[in-house]
Amino acid sequence: MVVLAVATTAFSGNELAGRWTLTINFPDGPNSTTTRTQTVTLEVFPRGDSLHGRANLTDESGKKYGATWRQVGKRVSIAYELPCSGDTQCASMILQGRVKGGGILIKKGSVIVVWDTPNNRNPALFDTANGTFRGDRIE
Amino acid sequence: MRSTKLVRFAVIIFSILGLSMEAPTANLQTEHTLAGEWLVTSSPINGQTASPKGVSLGFPDRDMVFEQQGDIRIGVVLREDVGHNVRPLGVWRVNGDQFSTTFQLWCPNEDGPCGSIVMRGRFVREDRISGTMTAFFDVFDDSTPTGYDSWTFSFVGNRTAAAASGGSN
Repeated sequence: MVVLAVATTAFSGNELAGRWTLTINFPDGPNSTTTRTQTVTLEVFPRGDSLHGRANLTDESGKKYGATWRQVGKRVSIAYELPCSGDTQCASMILQGRVKGGGILIKKGSVIVVWDTPNNRNPALFDTANGTFRGDRIE
Repeated sequence: MRSTKLVRFAVIIFSILGLSMEAPTANLQTEHTLAGEWLVTSSPINGQTASPKGVSLGFPDRDMVFEQQGDIRIGVVLREDVGHNVRPLGVWRVNGDQFSTTFQLWCPNEDGPCGSIVMRGRFVREDRISGTMTAFFDVFDDSTPTGYDSWTFSFVGNRTAAAASGGSN
């Protein structure tokens, strides 16, 4: 019980800073009905007195890329660029969720995917898709 | 013997021609980079003054600085005019002459909507970019494919300073 109380304090309430495992589900390409699951480690750096912070994201293959985050209250948003590679389409990823459980969990987060393929019928002028994600704090 | 000399001569000529034709192509394939400072001016497509749900961004010009540290590509919008803690952060990538960058808007409290910006563009020249950008606000809108209120702009940008430490793709 004491350990739990200390742990909660160490996370500064619901502040995102720390290390997380994110499990992200989204279509594997524009107009695809096949869901891809990406499991990444997110290292979230403290933002100090800024409204924004930086983060590094490491994917299943060990590739590391940059991310940025913002948080107001429990509401967090994380954005990163999904790199282009031979077997995956590149995209911009925007994750939105709420930090819960005293700062250890993001449950039922939503994902906006913006693909690189132009689409004049989409208000964003590019193909988009939606996904979901979950976050579990590692430390 | 004479035909052998002719063949050698032809091979040499074709080799020289091949090299001279490849050189410009190699120059054209120079990789672009966003690293550096840019002044980006945007204007709403179709003249809309606010998003469909009434959210506004408020300023057309953005002083943006992009950096690369190893594989990590980051960016920041300089908004010290608003406050010292207002430094919207972003990430970016380049693929050929196309680029993508995503920024988080700043939101001082939970009262108002917040959002993220996705910019898609191309290098017109090494020091000039153009494209479109879409703001995705965290306000629900059933009429959009994503379900979020969104607002799209066109933009042009001019490089005002090169990368501080030789960033590249």
